Amino acid sequence: MNSLAHYARLWLAGARYSVIRTMMFRADFIMWSLVELFWMGVNLLLIAVVYQHTNSIAGWGPWEMTLIVGTSMLVQRLLMGLFWTNLFEMGRNVRSGHFDFFMAQPGSPLFMVSTRKIDLDGFLNAPLALAVVLYAAHRLGLHPSGAQIALYAVFVICGLAIHYSTLLVLVSLVFWLQSAKGLEGGYFGVNEFSRLPREALRGVAAVIFVYTLPVIIVTNVPARTLLHGVEWQPALWLICAAVFWLTVAVIVFNRGLRRYSSASS
Amino acid sequence: MLAVLNKYRSIFVVGLQSNLVYRWNFAVRATFSLIHLAFVFVLWGAAFSGQTGIGGFSLRQTLTYFVMMLALQFFISAMNEDYEISEEIRNGLINQFLLKPINYYLYRFSLFVSARLVSGMLALVPLLLVLPLLFDKLVLPPFGWNYLFAIPALVMSGLIQFTIAYCFGLLTFWFLEIQSFIILSLAVETVLGGQVFPLDLFPKWLYDLSAYLPYYYQMYFPAALLTGRITDQAYALRGLCIQLFWVLALLAVARLLWSRGLRRHTAVGG
Repeated sequence: MNSLAHYARLWLAGARYSVIRTMMFRADFIMWSLVELFWMGVNLLLIAVVYQHTNSIAGWGPWEMTLIVGTSMLVQRLLMGLFWTNLFEMGRNVRSGHFDFFMAQPGSPLFMVSTRKIDLDGFLNAPLALAVVLYAAHRLGLHPSGAQIALYAVFVICGLAIHYSTLLVLVSLVFWLQSAKGLEGGYFGVNEFSRLPREALRGVAAVIFVYTLPVIIVTNVPARTLLHGVEWQPALWLICAAVFWLTVAVIVFNRGLRRYSSASS
Repeated sequence: MLAVLNKYRSIFVVGLQSNLVYRWNFAVRATFSLIHLAFVFVLWGAAFSGQTGIGGFSLRQTLTYFVMMLALQFFISAMNEDYEISEEIRNGLINQFLLKPINYYLYRFSLFVSARLVSGMLALVPLLLVLPLLFDKLVLPPFGWNYLFAIPALVMSGLIQFTIAYCFGLLTFWFLEIQSFIILSLAVETVLGGQVFPLDLFPKWLYDLSAYLPYYYQMYFPAALLTGRITDQAYALRGLCIQLFWVLALLAVARLLWSRGLRRHTAVGG
């Protein structure tokens, strides 16, 4: 319990530092918020353009697809707000030797590396992503129950855990490779599948992106919960996948940490 | 003249060597881009389900367009050039070029060409490996004028890509942090360059408008020529003329930013 309070205090100290720093560079903050907003617009534009030429994608109509895309953006904004900068900088710090700093911090290196900074612009756009979900639900005439909404939130958190873990695994490869530059591209590539309905994938693609790398269920399970109520089999799969990937990420990070020998050059 | 060429040839060779150090990163990046290609195949395959064409093009033509886009991206896109230029200005490394008989634009351009040569060749490896799987899903137009037009279009696309990145890098003379400008511009380029969807799927008025912007000529124009999405020769010729205009306009902007930026620049230390 004491340990939990200790880490909560550390996280709050990091959050306070991030807010102060963001307010020091207000123009930058506005600019980055616009950047994230624009990228969200790009995702919605793709849906709008495709549905100008077709009525259905794998049986999903435009507003059902918007619900999936909105959920994907929500998970993504939370990831950007909480973890992205920290993990992105980890790659650079391991290479330059600045990672030493995190080893000397009063907490687990993984916690310190993952939570040192918070990106307010990611948080600012998370409510907008949620607004997209709510608007799509409104256009679909959905009236979800309290339990459906609560489960939607739980599944979004599971999705966040899966995304965080896969990103951590990718960035941790920097302990073995000369540089992790470009590896984040792999994450973005895989994440694109989170904007697709499960029914669009068949054969090998379904095995890879639904079961092995569960990016599809990260968005499909919460979206389907709002649309049709909870479906326990995929929901349990999502929860198990979150636990599994978190475990793998922690193991890979710790193995990498053993290889770390300060500055490489 | 030969001495000048030799100077930049040496920079090009050094660029090749330093980029080859990161060959695995390029190879990994190219392999990961196949994941994007898989997404494209799934999305457009599902969108085409039950339809023979979208925007007047078949599924095979659309998929060919995206494969071409992917390949071209590694040969002509600016990747880290803006950040590298920004770093050189911020760290004062640029000072050495002010004292030497080296044109900074040509220096950076020589490095850009060498980097794209390495990344392009490495990107071809995973693409060629999966090509047997994709072969029956792709279709190229028969050999004709469009391939000949594509050669100058590709050269000018590379110039536009690099010069835009160069200009963003030079903004460091005015702004300490330019990353947000770059990412915002990247989002605009990604959409209006036709990387998210072929621009001809836009409503006609928007497509016509986009054809006057430089982004259209960064990627979409050469890819559309090579994949048969532009079939009117007069329209393609007009496109080449507009592309040339943008090359010259961007070079003028780059020159202006360089001369104005240097007035603000302070070289400290030795």
